[in-house]
Amino acid sequence: MSEMSTDVGWSYQAGPWFAVFGPQVTVLLPESERERVIRIWATVDAGGGFDEVLDGLLASGLSSLPGFVLLGAGTGPTRVLLRGSDVSVTLATGDDELVLDGSASATWVEQSVEGVTGLRIDIAESGDDVHFPIHNGLVRVGRVDRPAVASGAAGAAEPELGAPEVAASVEPVAEEPVAREQLVEAPVAEPPVAEPPVAEPPVAEAPVAEAPVEDLPTEMMPVVDADLVEAAAAEEPAPEPTPADEAGEGSELEMPLSGDPLTDPFPPEAPPVGEAPEVPEAPAVPEVPQAPETSEESAPEEPATPAPEGWVTPWDQPAPEAPATEAPDAEAPEVALPVSEAPPFPAPLAPPGVPEPPAGPEPVTEVASSYPPPPPVSAPAPPPLGIGSWEPIGGFPPPPPPADTDHDGLTNAGADQGQPPPPPGIPGQPPAPPVTQPVARLMISDGQDVVVDRVVLIGRAPEARRFTSTEQPLLVTVPSRLHEISSTHVEVRPGTGADHGTAVVTDMGSTNGTVLVQPGLGPEDLKPGIAVQLIPGAIINLGDGITIQVTRP
Amino acid sequence: MIPVELHYGASTDVGLLREVNEDSHLVAPPVFVVADGMGGHDHGDVASRLVVEEFRELAVQGYDAARGAEAVARTLAAAQARIAEFDATNARSGGPTASSGTTVVVALLVEQDDGPRWLLANVGDSRIYRFSPAGLDQVSVDHSVVQELIDAGHLSAAAAAEHPERHVITRALGGTVSGEADYFLLPLGSAERLLLCSDGVSGMIDDVEIAGILGRYDDPRDAADRLVAAAVAAGGRDNATAVVVDVVGLGDDTPYDSHAQRASLEQKLGALP
Repeated sequence: MSEMSTDVGWSYQAGPWFAVFGPQVTVLLPESERERVIRIWATVDAGGGFDEVLDGLLASGLSSLPGFVLLGAGTGPTRVLLRGSDVSVTLATGDDELVLDGSASATWVEQSVEGVTGLRIDIAESGDDVHFPIHNGLVRVGRVDRPAVASGAAGAAEPELGAPEVAASVEPVAEEPVAREQLVEAPVAEPPVAEPPVAEPPVAEAPVAEAPVEDLPTEMMPVVDADLVEAAAAEEPAPEPTPADEAGEGSELEMPLSGDPLTDPFPPEAPPVGEAPEVPEAPAVPEVPQAPETSEESAPEEPATPAPEGWVTPWDQPAPEAPATEAPDAEAPEVALPVSEAPPFPAPLAPPGVPEPPAGPEPVTEVASSYPPPPPVSAPAPPPLGIGSWEPIGGFPPPPPPADTDHDGLTNAGADQGQPPPPPGIPGQPPAPPVTQPVARLMISDGQDVVVDRVVLIGRAPEARRFTSTEQPLLVTVPSRLHEISSTHVEVRPGTGADHGTAVVTDMGSTNGTVLVQPGLGPEDLKPGIAVQLIPGAIINLGDGITIQVTRP
Repeated sequence: MIPVELHYGASTDVGLLREVNEDSHLVAPPVFVVADGMGGHDHGDVASRLVVEEFRELAVQGYDAARGAEAVARTLAAAQARIAEFDATNARSGGPTASSGTTVVVALLVEQDDGPRWLLANVGDSRIYRFSPAGLDQVSVDHSVVQELIDAGHLSAAAAAEHPERHVITRALGGTVSGEADYFLLPLGSAERLLLCSDGVSGMIDDVEIAGILGRYDDPRDAADRLVAAAVAAGGRDNATAVVVDVVGLGDDTPYDSHAQRASLEQKLGALP
């Protein structure tokens, strides 16, 4: 991304999705994810880094998130995560071009590429041909380009990119929209397909493949499935063994190599594009509007069923590969199948597949553990992404694991096998905030200075009740000569959800009440038990001459 | 840690009906524990004793007073592991297969920026009360079926004492239920006297009687003895254990200032310039 970080700016076309452009990362979310956009906005705009934003994105679970695109800037390679059946990212490097399709993986597609000179994000339903420039902000988009495209003609981008090779690479992209529309159809139509397996945790390949046929009256479905699944199935096993055979340490070296075989699997993805005219015609136009709906609807339903277990993270999925790799050719097809299913189907399929993976993961976890140290990133122009694989092929280690366990292979393996890294949150529940980033500082008029990185209880003789061992609150005692302040008067804690990144104050049912003065607003009496977001500069008055000034941490 | 003077007393009795006392307790300042073993097959006493042993170890080894909850959580986890191990050994040797378990209530001193505090934790239906001039206050919330009914509004506290399932608990160390503890932090000044007891006490005598005894006997040893004696006298249907801890020499550092209060009132009323 180093090249790109020289500020060339973005441009976008109007459309249904939300796009948040921040200093460090750019995030795109579907129109149904308004709440999540609001939550993520604060993080992104505050210059939140890739991992931080990713955590925020997934805070309420992956299964409820039908699609997204996360782009990292900063130094080093361009890092891309995408998910969703109707979104694709095109990366132009010096002389190559890489198309990532969000529907290619059941979880998400991840890739990091060095030397990116041009980048384009396509949402299925593109708007008209007007390009608006943008640096930082929140807009609704149907297509995003970087560097910025002059309004009027998409082709204008080519000259701007400068490098002749790039121009060449852009052209195929230009063609794509046509094919793409139809390509999209396939995945879009498939969400329902994916659903049946949800009910069948064990996931046998057969049922999965059949289910769609039975459930879907659509005739073209089998056709599409067959193509995709077979293609993927055929290709997938091939690449898998390569890295795994050498498992252990050697795998690091193999990683870049594994990309080569993957060039094979890549085609299967490309073919659909070319074949598009044939296959998709049937569902073509009429389905387009419906498509997003179905995918959105299916997503919400999901959490109910497999919620916690169904949680899929890219780093606990390597598991299924292990068997695939160890069991050479014979079993490979079987085991690999569930894997290969992943790519063609969007999100919903993921959950059923996941429970299985954890089963026999040893070798893979080792492999996984070996990822971090070797920055395979160094591999020159990484080969096309192994679409449908969750491995950061030729990329970087998955984000969270390095955080807690990257000390040595053993630790890592143990952690990976026994219990996959805890998900950032329980779907459907606001994540409990134990100790987090400081969100505010409280300067109390008696001279105390408190950082809000956990629950803070303030009062004359505050006490905390019924908390868990991980969220021990901080009790702050303030003097109250006249006993106007209650023993536990107010609580200030890091906010969640829409309040993420800020502090919220709650009156704990104090006898004499609490007055809050936010900057630019009149005094406000806090209602007991109702949390109010604090703006830096706010002043909380507890009475008895005790005021608390809220500042940035 | 800031030295705090603690006076304490403990008492336990097998009761009138049971043959084995499955309660265990620990007084190892600044750590106090009461555990009520269960599981029949006279192995409940082992479970409760294992918990107490773990906490005695904690008291001997010391703990980071600024991170008390974590220390308690670790100790509880260790105790739980030992109980599971005991069960496994038992099963292998052909002993009773019923899993043993125990409740536990813990009180220990922890340090925060502005001084020491009581960190309390409970699992199951053993209880922690605090007694102050303001009266008796049950701090812990039972992990029991009855308590859940009360919380849900299906049962009154009075009816709960007679409920047939009042001994069914929803959390315990050992067995198949959750062993997760609830934690509480209290300022020392608000809890001049703490009572840790098994349900052999709180189930036999009501809060009024408990408050009466705690108020009547200044010496915590006497108070503990009398509580257990009263529980036995009331029927002694279960093992009864009580630990009473006083924080001594810690006056209310924010005493109610009647002069200031009156002056303030007069100011508000405009009686003073």
